[in-house]
Amino acid sequence: MRVLVLVAISVVLFKWVLLPVRAQGISMQPTFGSGSFRLVNRLSFLSGTPQRGDIIAIRLAGTRVVYVKRVIGLPGERLEIADGQVLINGVPLDEPYVQNRRPWTLAEVTMAPGEYFVVGDNRGMNRRDHTMGRVDANRIIGRVVF
Amino acid sequence: MLAGRLGPIALAAALLAAAVFGWRAWTGGEEAVIRARLASFVAAVNSKPGEGLGAVAHAADIGSYFTEDVQIDLGPGTNPIQGRSMLIGIASRLQSRLSAFELVLEDVVVELTGETTADVQLTASFIRRDTAAGLEPMDPTEFAVLMTQADGTWRIGRLTVVQVLR
Repeated sequence: MRVLVLVAISVVLFKWVLLPVRAQGISMQPTFGSGSFRLVNRLSFLSGTPQRGDIIAIRLAGTRVVYVKRVIGLPGERLEIADGQVLINGVPLDEPYVQNRRPWTLAEVTMAPGEYFVVGDNRGMNRRDHTMGRVDANRIIGRVVF
Repeated sequence: MLAGRLGPIALAAALLAAAVFGWRAWTGGEEAVIRARLASFVAAVNSKPGEGLGAVAHAADIGSYFTEDVQIDLGPGTNPIQGRSMLIGIASRLQSRLSAFELVLEDVVVELTGETTADVQLTASFIRRDTAAGLEPMDPTEFAVLMTQADGTWRIGRLTVVQVLR
């Protein structure tokens, strides 16, 4: 009986609450190494919305392969990257999780309602090899919690 | 009396169930065929190209999975690929670079939109084969694919990158 309960809890937990993901690639270094396993809480934003600094999982065609990125821009904000420095509404953003920076440049963009700007922590890689940008809230699966 | 009234209802229910079962079996069959076709495409892409004519044959084999008038849109900053011939030419030139990676398709969702057309959403990842080569894996990409059937064979008629991060 206990085994059945445990199985049922595990099924519920990993089907509807937690999504295991494996980081692939270097875009989130040094925060996450390539090959490391993480857990995404699908219920993170049932009450509340993503906040600046949250590391989130973003679905593509499904949830077997997802993007894991950090939220740096919120709906309605203006975001620009000048010489590697992120500016939010013209104000430099403090990012203690970034260790190396290349002089990336990104022309100012404005987040629409329900849009967030996401980027990886590895700013020392080539800009053209780094996937980042505005994402719709309906693509966000949840917050990486472990 | 009651049995008499129930007879037509039961018959209608049975016919409806048979129709639903038949529809699912047919569409499930075609969806499975499309999935198998895409799996075969992946195998063709991931097979080792030979040198010279072998490389040309490999590119032509990959091209056979696309329609003659295929349209490929790889997103902002790229030129569209129009037609199978253009695709084969590009595939030939990129073979040495692409052979360092393995193509993987996941989260493949197939929706039949007609007898000879289907919409497919999928995520494509290029996984680095040789870590010693110093190449970084490409970020996974979502694609919207239009499949069309002609002469009993499903082929890719349109391939468009879905801009998840804009």
